[in-house]
Amino acid sequence: MAKKTYDLLFKLLLIGDSGVGKTCVLFRFSDDAFNTTFISTIGIDFKIKTVELQGKKIKLQIWDTAGQERFHTITTSYYRGAMGIMLVYDISNAKSFENISKWLRNIDEHANEDVERMLLGNKCDMEDKRIVPKAKGEQIAREHGIRFFETSAKANINIEKAFLTLAEDILRKTPVKEPNSENVDISSGGGVTGWKTKCCS
Amino acid sequence: MGDLHDGSPVPAFEKDPLDLGVEDVYDISYVIGKDLLKINSDGQEVSALQFKIVRVLEMFEIMVSKYNLSLEELRMERDNLKVDLDRVVAGSHDNSNNIIGPDKLVIDMKDPNRPRFTMQELKEVLQERNQLKTQLLLAQEELQLYKSGVLPHLEPKMVEVDLETPFSLRTSPLSCPEENKEQKEEKTTIQKLFSFRRK
Repeated sequence: MAKKTYDLLFKLLLIGDSGVGKTCVLFRFSDDAFNTTFISTIGIDFKIKTVELQGKKIKLQIWDTAGQERFHTITTSYYRGAMGIMLVYDISNAKSFENISKWLRNIDEHANEDVERMLLGNKCDMEDKRIVPKAKGEQIAREHGIRFFETSAKANINIEKAFLTLAEDILRKTPVKEPNSENVDISSGGGVTGWKTKCCS
Repeated sequence: MGDLHDGSPVPAFEKDPLDLGVEDVYDISYVIGKDLLKINSDGQEVSALQFKIVRVLEMFEIMVSKYNLSLEELRMERDNLKVDLDRVVAGSHDNSNNIIGPDKLVIDMKDPNRPRFTMQELKEVLQERNQLKTQLLLAQEELQLYKSGVLPHLEPKMVEVDLETPFSLRTSPLSCPEENKEQKEEKTTIQKLFSFRRK
């Protein structure tokens, strides 16, 4: 039988206000590149990146949503399938921080109950334009019991760490199915057999 | 008008020629006629001159009358155009507002940038785009494997692929197996080029 290129498939989702840098965060992670021109995401897009964690090849399918309100109906329909959600705000944009509660409510309404959540305060390279103190980000993350990182897609700070941590958290929850590790047919379940029986049955 | 006294000034003579009406021409003719009567009219020359004067006055009458008619026509035309203009201006003003009541939008069909697609249509297009992207990535991955020799030879059984790309929409009609089949058949030719099996 054909050899697989990965052991598990995790589906992640990026949400947050328009312009906070969701696409840039993803682009840094998937292509290790950065582009300063702002191109608003239309509806929804995705990138694929395979990482190795605990000896397992994990394919990450990362969905990048449009932050604009007008795409709301399109983007919220993608919450359901996500195993991990990254909520991004911009440390130089107070409004994007204030809207965190709105985005968390969206997660509650549209995502799976046991979805892994993570808060990212992006653009932390712009210290001179900072409006949201790091402590405030930490505080709101603590209140909601979720992880928090300050990131910079531009300066490549904490980007990989954030994705790997989120993937690890999901991996920890994924039941290990190991009858014969040589022959795991992950293709049949799209790589998330364990996950599916857990959350979608 | 018939009460014009001898020697009294005739207003018509004082008027701006462009303001003269046919009535003024008759006044002038009356005065000239009376004056001619005063002249001894026995002479042949005088009577010939009288006819000439009458003829000139008739020509004068025709010209004034014609002039006044043209003037009146132009005035009417101008007024009509004014009314038309007001109507057009009022109409275009309504259109530029583009709004009939709250939450209603009038779309200018000639505007190349007018909104055309519904959110649902956009959603479907994005779904198909992402599905094709998934397949492209998988094909690239597979190609890479063949190139690097990990996969020794082509088998009829290809890599099985989970094609339920819009993973969040399992409950939508799109994802019922029956419809998927139909959908697949009418899908793009690009899809037909792939031998991926849907699980």
